[in-house]
Amino acid sequence: MNARWRSLLLPVVFVTGCLTATVVHARETLTFGVFAYRPENIVRERYEPLVRYLAEQVGAEVELEVLSQEDMSRAIAANRLDFFLTNPSHFLLIRSERSLTGVLATLVRRSGDSSTASLGGVIFTSTGRDDINGLEDLRGKNIASPGVHFLGGFQAQTLELLEAGIDIRRMNRVRFVDTHDRVVRSVLSGDSDAGFIRTTILEEMAQASPGFLSQVKVLNRQALAGFPYVVSTRLYPEWPVVALPHVDERDVRRIASALFAIEPEDEAAVAAGISGFSPPADYQSVEYLARTLRVPPYDQIPQVTWVDVLHQYRIWVFTIVVLAMLLFGGALWLARSRRQLATQQKRLKRLIGDWPQPALLIRDGVLVNTNRAAVDLLRYASNASLHGKSLDVFSPEIQPGGQLSRQKMEQILVRVRGGYVEQCEWVLQRSDRSEVWLDMTLAPVQDERETEPVILCSLYNITRRKRAEQRQRLAASVFDHAREAIFITDSHGMVIDANDAYREITGRPLSRVIGRLPPLPLEEGSGVFASARHQGFWTGEFLCKHQNGEVLVLAMTISSVCGDRGEVSHFVGIFSDISRLKEQEQKLRVMAHYDSLTGLPNRVLFSDRLQQAMALSRRQGGKLAVVYIDLDEFKPVNDAFGHEAGDQLLIEIASRMRSVLREEDTLARIGGDEFAAIVMNVQQEDALEGLLVRLLARVAEPVWVANHSVEVSASIGYTLFPQTDDLDGDQLLRQADQAMYQAKHQGRNCYVGFSAPSG
Amino acid sequence: MQRRDFLGFSIAAGFSMAGLAGCSKSGPLVFGVHPWIGYEPLYLAKEFGWLPTSVALSSGSTSGDSMAGLLSGELGGAALTLDETIRVWSLGTELVVVAVADVSAGADVLVVRPHIAELAALRNQRVAVELNGVSAILLLKILEVAGLGRGDIVTVDLPVSQHAEAWARGEIDASVCYEPTASALQREGGVRLFDSSDIPETIFDVLVVTRETANRNPGAVRDLVAAHFTGLRHLVRSMHDAVYRVASRQGIEPVNVRKALATVMLPDLAANQRYLAASGRVEAMARSLSRLMLSEGMISSDPGFKRLCDPAFLPRSVP
Repeated sequence: MNARWRSLLLPVVFVTGCLTATVVHARETLTFGVFAYRPENIVRERYEPLVRYLAEQVGAEVELEVLSQEDMSRAIAANRLDFFLTNPSHFLLIRSERSLTGVLATLVRRSGDSSTASLGGVIFTSTGRDDINGLEDLRGKNIASPGVHFLGGFQAQTLELLEAGIDIRRMNRVRFVDTHDRVVRSVLSGDSDAGFIRTTILEEMAQASPGFLSQVKVLNRQALAGFPYVVSTRLYPEWPVVALPHVDERDVRRIASALFAIEPEDEAAVAAGISGFSPPADYQSVEYLARTLRVPPYDQIPQVTWVDVLHQYRIWVFTIVVLAMLLFGGALWLARSRRQLATQQKRLKRLIGDWPQPALLIRDGVLVNTNRAAVDLLRYASNASLHGKSLDVFSPEIQPGGQLSRQKMEQILVRVRGGYVEQCEWVLQRSDRSEVWLDMTLAPVQDERETEPVILCSLYNITRRKRAEQRQRLAASVFDHAREAIFITDSHGMVIDANDAYREITGRPLSRVIGRLPPLPLEEGSGVFASARHQGFWTGEFLCKHQNGEVLVLAMTISSVCGDRGEVSHFVGIFSDISRLKEQEQKLRVMAHYDSLTGLPNRVLFSDRLQQAMALSRRQGGKLAVVYIDLDEFKPVNDAFGHEAGDQLLIEIASRMRSVLREEDTLARIGGDEFAAIVMNVQQEDALEGLLVRLLARVAEPVWVANHSVEVSASIGYTLFPQTDDLDGDQLLRQADQAMYQAKHQGRNCYVGFSAPSG
Repeated sequence: MQRRDFLGFSIAAGFSMAGLAGCSKSGPLVFGVHPWIGYEPLYLAKEFGWLPTSVALSSGSTSGDSMAGLLSGELGGAALTLDETIRVWSLGTELVVVAVADVSAGADVLVVRPHIAELAALRNQRVAVELNGVSAILLLKILEVAGLGRGDIVTVDLPVSQHAEAWARGEIDASVCYEPTASALQREGGVRLFDSSDIPETIFDVLVVTRETANRNPGAVRDLVAAHFTGLRHLVRSMHDAVYRVASRQGIEPVNVRKALATVMLPDLAANQRYLAASGRVEAMARSLSRLMLSEGMISSDPGFKRLCDPAFLPRSVP
């Protein structure tokens, strides 16, 4: 602005002023409220000229009201003000409480030659405070501020500190002292460590008292070219002039035009320390500040509905919901699988624990787990007595194979750790020292996390089987090694197995044994099996031919073997060759009944034959005679020529007598030189006597013995049967003997029949 | 206001051609920036601490520094005009436009002697222009509007800083320039006949990064763009504060900052989305500019880009 313009403007203002003054003469008073940011007298002194100027321009009475923020708010609420000038923060608060016509103009402050429509905050402390040099140093310090609704006295600094990471409101060390002047006093007096004031205050005070600036130290000083004041914060638009809605529109226009018309050199401007008014500034930055700090009117946390949240954070909400669902689902799944796992584990544990087969788990060579059956098998009281011990502790020192238990177990474990499944027989020793045979299976239970695999050991008690095997082996050895032939046939009698003795006795090779009948008695044949079937066994002796044609006598027993349903399924036969036995028996029998020298029956057989003959005679009614023969003069032969000659003589005589007798007659030697004979079917006594005569004759013939011809005779006595008395054999022989003695008495070489002694 | 100062550019380009190209470094994105009102948001962001550590600003005095840095590989990105972007691309460094910082709306001016009343009257007049800079683009557009060819005027290739002297000596009849030269010429009796507001949405100042940076370090690029918009919001919303800060840095009066702000449009996020779209204004302008520059011999080879802009780095909202 140059001087030319000003000289033009002034008359215009004057003329308009006069005109309006005349036109609106009886106008009511307009009230112009100004916020008392400094002591009221100072503010009033400064703005009085401006109000006078406005009164002139508008042509109405304009009254100045200098008010504190609270008073101004109340006055506005009561419509006692028509226009007001206050700081932007306070303006926002008022605007939020009632409707306004909007900002007419923004104050432009002046400092020397430069002017600015911006204001900011100053953070300061007294010069002596060496401990406070930057924003950081304000932490925990007492701070004086005029009030919350002071833009340059509180809000601007608060934001600055907030961005530096210091929330002074939270620290609660701010004291509100109503005016900027009191803030300065508080800081200078040391009541507060630091103070917040708006820009221009320091410069204004310095104007009033030179040297003042040296008492204060401004913090966070901003270097802003062209900005005429010291400042610690960013800048905001200066104070607005606002009209209230009830004011006549024409008055508003006139006031506005009057405000814009103010030149820096005008008295009103100079007094107020301003260079005029500019078109309304954009107060957005102040609103933003208030919102950021959440100070009134933006202290209310906006009612955020769920819809807003959803709208604002839909991706987050969606993500969180999805994650939560996944988590929930995962948790459910995890819980379910854990439950399943627990059930499974319990079932598995119960399965293993209750499994009738003994099972053990081995880790590091020692038992770590055992089931009930295993404990029972070893006859211990509890699992605890097994755990932590090696399996070979429960084994005899030496296994049946001859290997040491410890060595064998180590070898097995090495193989199992190599991934193989091992199966072997093992003997364990129970707590009562008894041994038990087991079929042991060891398998590795692989687990990648464990270096040493757990080995599952399953045991199967085979003691009973082992014993059965032993019995069977024994039975088999009996079968194999018996001297008796043993054979097994099917139910039809066909041999299905036979032992070596069978083949030896029969001489038949095995090919001719299996599938054929065993040797059987000729007369009965396979009927023996029928007997065995009915009676359970059959026994008998019979002749049979050896393969080489030799005749054998076999003594055989056949037993039936019953199947499960009681029917005969097999026959077991056992036989032995008794040929030799029979032969010996025959020999003995001969020795018992015959005279070994002459081969004639001896006395025993004679008696037997006599009994039979007597019985026959009684039955058939025939007669028989018992003849007693005694050689005469035998002893001299024996003495003269020796016993051998005597024996030869006896043999010769016996042979001659035998040849005289008939086949059915019996001749027996019953003493040294005594013979007896039974003559059957004696019809006539004459015929008997003829026979006796022939006997005597044959005996009397000379016999050549020991190179000598010898002659002997015989004395014969006889008796007949039956007789009137019932006699036995001995009595008969005695009768014949008595008769023979008579013959001896009658001169030998004769026969005498027995006749019962009379008397 | 030296963005159009190309002093040293040729030298820098020469260095890069000579094979002094630095190897690409990992670490923060080094972003070349020089004083210009459109790039101020980045400085504001830096001043207020809104620039993450993933981005490091490298302040040059002119755009030439930035171009040389891009070509040598020292810079991962820079603030350039659209024609500068095309020049760098044609020299072999592939670039991506990630944001539009401002659109010239009166910043570039044609000042003429009073006797030239209309554009057609430029015929056979001596027009001072810095052919190597963005002024050349304005001149080409002026000729296009005037219906004149290059041969119809007498082109005086002169750095803008020397226009005032040439004017005073009477060596030129017209000047394609910008502030503060434009005001100086006007004070000497020059008349503003034409400015960039007459050809809206033609002269763009953009933020570019190399293709390699965009691929290798997209997070830093996003941080850079977000910081720009945060600074821009402060510039627009708290202009009372910002003008003083810009003035302080550029060493000029706040009032000149206000003037400068009046000659540019600062597109916000939504406008950027629009500009950077595949069928957007920047893409179309870049194509027509590269054709023009090629035909005028301002670049030696067609950069042949398929896609210059990438709006993917724009934030969804300003924090």
